[in-house]
Amino acid sequence: MNQDSQDKSAMDSLMAAWMKSATDFWTSAPKMWSFSSDASTAGSGDSQGFEAQGSGRWQNAFKIWQSLFSTLSNPEAMEAFFKGAGATPEIFMKISRTGMQGYAAFYQQWLKKAGKLAQPEKAYHFENLDENVFNAWKDLYEKEIQPFLNVPQLGLARSYQERVNETLDRFNLYQVQLAGLLRMLYLPLEKSARVMEEKLEEHSRDGKLSENFKEYYETWVKVLEGHYMTLFKSSEYLEAFSNTLSANENFKLAQHSMLADMLQSLPIPTNKEMDDLYKEIYLLKKTVKEMAKKLAQQETSSRSSRDAAV
Amino acid sequence: MSPTKIPVDLILNKLTEDVGKSQERILKSQDVLLSPLDTSIATTPYEVVYQEDRVKLKYYRPARKGPIKTPLLLVYALINRETMLDLQPGRSVVQNFLNDGVELYMIDWGYPSRKDRYVTIDDHVNGYMDNVIDFILRRHKLPKLNLMGICMGGAFSVMYSALHPEKVKNLITTVTPSNFDTDKGLLHVWMKEVDADLMVDTYGNMPGDFLNLGFLLLNPARLMIDKYVGFFENMDDKVFVENFIRMEKWIFDSPDVPGETFRQFIKDCYQKNLLIQSKLELGGRRVDLKNITMPLLNIYGRFDHLVPPEACELLTSRVGTKDTEDLCLNTGHIGIYVSSKCQREFTPKIFGWLKERDESEPVHAEKATVSRLPRAQKVAAKGRKTPMASS
Repeated sequence: MNQDSQDKSAMDSLMAAWMKSATDFWTSAPKMWSFSSDASTAGSGDSQGFEAQGSGRWQNAFKIWQSLFSTLSNPEAMEAFFKGAGATPEIFMKISRTGMQGYAAFYQQWLKKAGKLAQPEKAYHFENLDENVFNAWKDLYEKEIQPFLNVPQLGLARSYQERVNETLDRFNLYQVQLAGLLRMLYLPLEKSARVMEEKLEEHSRDGKLSENFKEYYETWVKVLEGHYMTLFKSSEYLEAFSNTLSANENFKLAQHSMLADMLQSLPIPTNKEMDDLYKEIYLLKKTVKEMAKKLAQQETSSRSSRDAAV
Repeated sequence: MSPTKIPVDLILNKLTEDVGKSQERILKSQDVLLSPLDTSIATTPYEVVYQEDRVKLKYYRPARKGPIKTPLLLVYALINRETMLDLQPGRSVVQNFLNDGVELYMIDWGYPSRKDRYVTIDDHVNGYMDNVIDFILRRHKLPKLNLMGICMGGAFSVMYSALHPEKVKNLITTVTPSNFDTDKGLLHVWMKEVDADLMVDTYGNMPGDFLNLGFLLLNPARLMIDKYVGFFENMDDKVFVENFIRMEKWIFDSPDVPGETFRQFIKDCYQKNLLIQSKLELGGRRVDLKNITMPLLNIYGRFDHLVPPEACELLTSRVGTKDTEDLCLNTGHIGIYVSSKCQREFTPKIFGWLKERDESEPVHAEKATVSRLPRAQKVAAKGRKTPMASS
């Protein structure tokens, strides 16, 4: 007999003992309940029928529990139970293995690209930027985390939970886009510092170096301005800018839906409710204004025709 | 290869000297910043003569009667506030017009709240503007007035003049975008990428601070760094500090823009460029630029990074009148109104131009509807162009 089967048989007997004691408990519990119920309701008149009904329901419930535990005490059922329980760590292992694989892939990409990030970029050029680190981050998120947030929810509160998950999801996507955009906004600072180094070297070679710090600052600001202008017109920036705005707006929309759920329990109207009301007021006001204008015009024309007749 | 010789010692000496000066300046600036400062803006007295919802009509009474009998209505943009036209004594477009005896009206669009999110361009142009103009015309018993628009307010004025030409005697557009199909200004490039529907559905009204952040990002090196370095260097100068704070007050006083107005302006103007093609529709009516039969003076800034000359200069060639003039000043978007150099050119030019036309055309009281307007009503053809006028 190997160690595994010994462990299993020990576990079986432990489980059987626990099942037996649980079954005994559920067998004696209705009797105890019946006794205490009888004692408390003795001579209470009208309420006796109701108490008796309640006691009957409890007894039924106890019987169901009792039969459930008896069934579970069977060796076959016990084996099935252990099989299921044994499978659980496997599931967890599988999930974590997938997660770890994704993380490792991301980490590898990160290492590969982090070196590239540190490499100086060419001045006044923003095309073909290496944004793979952010893409890798996004990929990892979309493959490993997002599916968990998109798991269909069940039950009464499913819509509420879905909106919470959606908010979390949109927030994460927004963060990824924002990080990419912020990195782009940092690039001109890096590039202009490099240009300044080159300019200083050049001036030094030509013996034109100024002693005035302000002159260096002015040159730097001018270079920085030029870099930003070039960046802001690049298709890479425009894409990042547009994606970040959309991600921010999608996050805000999801957040508003979640907050609207929370506000439902408070005596506070939601934006949507107020907007509906504002729209109605706007349309009514517009109609009233148009009618008032038409009336005024009619009055003016009838007055002028009266004046003409006089 | 010889190593680079940077005179670090000299630079450090200079830097130490500068640090010493900076410390001195900081000490002095404490006196300035802690003393009472006059940073008030828009101090010229006015009277609110008409109000509809959040929109007010300001009336500025001139100290003396001038040669121009027709009142002038200024229409500012929905972005930022009209207070820029009366920023400070000595740099006030309003004050300059009053000194010339012009009867001046100005629309204050107010601060749109959430309930204004459904207000469209049509409501602004055919609603508020039309009501305001009717009020002024009734008040002065006149059939027409002079209309001057600024930036987006200029675009509204162009739309209004095309839809109600019978009520506009002369039209002046300043830094007014009418051709949005250009990549010269970053704003034009960026706005093509924006999902206006998603933006408006998310925010309702476009938050002023959000728009301001966008404007700062158009030139972060100058607007977020250099500007404040300049302030630091001059903060011991009381007058400089006061003027700087006035400008800061104005720049960051940004009302939200009503959502539906923003949506239409971005989609129909920035993305589809409908205005200059006479294809824009307001309230079911087409804005046909050929209906602009009154004289038109179009002023813009050569170095305007928000509304570049390319966005402005096409207008005069698309309108129905031939009495047009383009004036390109060597300045930026705001400099036109506040720089001391432009103060000497901008309002005198408008005043002279209006005076010439106010005297030439007799005031007639009959009202004509847009459809009844004869094409032959055009003023004698001039079609001038005055580039580099300020140089």
